Amino acid sequence: MHPDYPLETARLLLRPFTRGDVDAVFDYRRREDVARYLFDVPLSREECALAVQQRIGQVALEADDDKIILGVELAGEGALIGEVSLILRNRDARQGEIGWIFHPDYQGHGYATEAAVALLDLAFTNGEMHRVMARCDARNLASAKLMERLGMRREAHFREHALFKGEWDEEFIYAILETEWPEKRLAFFAS
Amino acid sequence: MSSLSLPIETERLILRTFERGDLEALNTYLSLPSARRYAVSRARDKREVAEALNVMRSHVSLQRPGDTLTLAMVRKGDKQLIGHVSLHWSDATAGQGEVRFVINPNYSGQGFVCEALGALFDLAFDHFRIHRVFARCDGRNHHSIKLMQGMGMRLEAHYREHALFQGEWDEELHFALLDREWNRPSKVRELPQRHRVA
Repeated sequence: MHPDYPLETARLLLRPFTRGDVDAVFDYRRREDVARYLFDVPLSREECALAVQQRIGQVALEADDDKIILGVELAGEGALIGEVSLILRNRDARQGEIGWIFHPDYQGHGYATEAAVALLDLAFTNGEMHRVMARCDARNLASAKLMERLGMRREAHFREHALFKGEWDEEFIYAILETEWPEKRLAFFAS
Repeated sequence: MSSLSLPIETERLILRTFERGDLEALNTYLSLPSARRYAVSRARDKREVAEALNVMRSHVSLQRPGDTLTLAMVRKGDKQLIGHVSLHWSDATAGQGEVRFVINPNYSGQGFVCEALGALFDLAFDHFRIHRVFARCDGRNHHSIKLMQGMGMRLEAHYREHALFQGEWDEELHFALLDREWNRPSKVRELPQRHRVA
């Protein structure tokens, strides 16, 4: 799958990363509160430059574990407020995974949810996926609530199944099927 | 860690490692379709069961991550091999172990698997110092679901259509139990503090 970019929502543009995004990415990836539930620690500017470089090419899905990672821009303003990802986990079983990282200054406006809806649309239409999952730390209530707003079902609650940053990990996995999304999508927009 | 002391005796069973002579009895249940899904092997005929037996005969202890311990369930008295249980050391740093079990359907429903799993959990937590034991089963396998709930395991995951198995959408459950949650049966044993596996 190689979608046409940008993807547009009511308030956002989801578009491939460019070289000029490094400072904006560094502005949120440097933060402790952003890194808290990510596998990464806070990133240096150099690490952000490398990440952006890598992301510039992550715009299509062909093989297992390919990623589409898009910058999220406020339409009209041009400010980069975060990033979203869609990963092809298993091509044969048409499994995908979505994720998001947003700048805390822009949280609480429903932007992440709006971007996630666009990702699910992409996954189930262009991507012809059968099931899309997302995961988060069990303490990350904002993320868990977002998934529930999208109509995703909590399929797993793992306790102490791994170590995460030196402590026992507790993880949620949410998922939604292609057959469920049209109805959940309507319900989401109706609410 | 002190060396593993086998066989293990439970009320009605002897749990021991597999032997060459187990092929006939193993073949009667391991090649059944019902046994294949979450069994240690996917053997379809006697030749494949023989290959599986060879592998299982090497499953004698957990020395390093990735190792599996497989124990034959042998009924006391008639020495009949009726099934087996296994413990796979899946992750060392986080002390994770996966349990699997399979029983000859002719002997199911009498609590033999529970009895063997109880001993295996003791081994996992007390001897190998595993932190968390988990098991997977098909979402429609009501026997296994009841069994794991009966063992005090918690349903941690219910995946729907997350994979294809033999051309059909799969439904998979994960059950898990932490070291501190395991109710040691009957006697509380005074165990010397051993070095952790993890």
